[in-house]
Amino acid sequence: MPSIQNIFVLIKQVPDQSAKAGINPDGTIDRAKAKRMLNPFDRYALQAALHTKQLYGGKVTAISMGPPPAVEILMEAIEHGADMGYLLSDRRLAASDTLATAYALHKVILHLGLPDLIFCGLQTTDGDTAQVGPQIAERLDLPQTSYCEDFRVEDGKLVARRVIEGGYQWVKMAMPAMVTVANSYHHLEYKTIRGARKVQMLLRNEEEKNKVIKTVTLDDVGADPLLCGLKGSPTIVAKTDKVAEIGGSCKVRQGEPTDHMVRDLLQTCNLREFANV
Amino acid sequence: MSQNENQSPETQKEAPKPAAATQPEASKPEPEPMREIITPSNKEVIVIAEQVQGQIQTVTMELLGAGRDLANKLGGKLSCVLLGHNVKEAAQKLIHYGAECVYLADHPELENYRTLPFRRVITDLLQTFNPPPHILLLGSTTTGRDLAPRIAAYFKTGLTADCTELDIGPYEHTNKADPDKLGLYPGCLYAIRPSFGESLKARILGPWNNPQMATTRPGVMIPLHPDTNRTGEIREIPVNLKSEDYRLEIMEIVREAQSAVNLDEADVVVAGGFGLGGSEGFELLKELAACFENGVIGASRKVVDSGWIPYQYQIGQTGKTVRPKVYIACGISGAIQHKVGMQKSGLIIAINKDADAPIFQVAHHGIVGDVFQVVPELIRQLKAGKQLGSSVSQQKTLV
Repeated sequence: MPSIQNIFVLIKQVPDQSAKAGINPDGTIDRAKAKRMLNPFDRYALQAALHTKQLYGGKVTAISMGPPPAVEILMEAIEHGADMGYLLSDRRLAASDTLATAYALHKVILHLGLPDLIFCGLQTTDGDTAQVGPQIAERLDLPQTSYCEDFRVEDGKLVARRVIEGGYQWVKMAMPAMVTVANSYHHLEYKTIRGARKVQMLLRNEEEKNKVIKTVTLDDVGADPLLCGLKGSPTIVAKTDKVAEIGGSCKVRQGEPTDHMVRDLLQTCNLREFANV
Repeated sequence: MSQNENQSPETQKEAPKPAAATQPEASKPEPEPMREIITPSNKEVIVIAEQVQGQIQTVTMELLGAGRDLANKLGGKLSCVLLGHNVKEAAQKLIHYGAECVYLADHPELENYRTLPFRRVITDLLQTFNPPPHILLLGSTTTGRDLAPRIAAYFKTGLTADCTELDIGPYEHTNKADPDKLGLYPGCLYAIRPSFGESLKARILGPWNNPQMATTRPGVMIPLHPDTNRTGEIREIPVNLKSEDYRLEIMEIVREAQSAVNLDEADVVVAGGFGLGGSEGFELLKELAACFENGVIGASRKVVDSGWIPYQYQIGQTGKTVRPKVYIACGISGAIQHKVGMQKSGLIIAINKDADAPIFQVAHHGIVGDVFQVVPELIRQLKAGKQLGSSVSQQKTLV
């Protein structure tokens, strides 16, 4: 059986956009008031990391970057079975774009030592860029498989199934490697009883908590503040506009017999133009 | 991770008002005009082409259309980079679609896309440019979104994902927290993309480094009409792969039948939501999709997450963005995350039991009713209509 020593999973806390709280009338998000959640895409990455551990052994370390409340998602990862949590939290990281974020996170990874596998979610729901995983891989000079939806370890290599347009491909990749996990991968399993007990214990015991979940700053990981935050970001958001609501002119058919409504629809819409029956 | 984490839009600085000639200048010193900063570039706009088995992908033609406009505004040239094996014919096609120059790497190792070899050849090429190109564009595909961040991180330059509009314009950087960058930058790439569930449009800029990079979603930009009279230069570029570029090998590529999940190119998309009640409901939708010449099924995120149908069918924020000629939403309530993936469709028809479902706000036509009654009736009438049509044509042949 091939063995794995260390598995990192990079996760992010994002605003819950389905909740009303913290959503300003102009569509922007008040991050202080918004309900927070684990980025939905990261649930797949966490499952991939935990699955790897189940099959091949190793230790799962969840890593996040963000303000102090992001400890919540590291706790959540531990409830699901992760072993350790690391939060990079530093005011100088504010306004980091993807390149600056990738720089900062790659320094955390180097600080901890390069693992066999790094899992990321495909993208986040608040940024939607899918850039940070590959940008970290570039910084660390690692091979990558993005859009990974299935994988196994074979002869010390990762055999991965990757989504492509209209199908998929199987690739074989040397480790250490970066994997971004598509949401066609398995759903995150329930929290484990052991994990939940561990978190209960950590919540009561500050000293133990600090051993399992560590919060580090840029100085701790040796990151250059000039390459982080606003200064380290090659992009800025220069302007935002509210998108005009569209629609509002729907011709709705209601309360009539189905065949009448369908006939009326077909008479007004030229669907038959596209038909082949 | 967020493109714009914790960033807030900068307030546009008001233009300094010209001081009246009679006013003594001592009391109010004239604000100094912004120093103009030009980041070195050769004004070239470069599109990274995507090909599959020698076929140029439509997103590349669309990028050439968008790139042509940007190059014209900059007064620079539009080029394209094409990597593949036996793709010389395809290179010519790129010229017909507007490229003035094609940098061609034709090599057996480049037959199928792999991150590291493609990254090597492209970064090697771009490093030979002095000054660098102004803009680099890729498609927001599984290839472009894999490759673009690697190139951006290599050159430590800005990259904006999934743009829906691109433009050129000036930018006045007035953020005092970032004093090194203060100044007026002409000729910036305006990379415009939806953000926060597409309720907002953000203009993202990065004029401090070149090339300024962006990816665009397939189906958004408009290609030029191909013109075989367009001429251009095809320039072969070197391929010098290193041993570490071979750390990943492709074992197998499976492309399903075109009709299976080709949401991008379908004329008619029949999409199902939670109102279908289970995976069986999609059999009915497949039957409806099969009534159309180029019809496929799609799904909302909720049903994908419920495991009723694979991810490849998902339309919306975390799935595909589609703009077919006809979109038939069956049992889809129409959450914002879904609407953003389909609202640009030509004709939107919604079928839903709930008259208050938000999908009716974005639809052009709607039927309030049970999907399992309305869809079979729709299939029946579509089929009946054809029988009517065929009997007419039979009569014609008899005459």
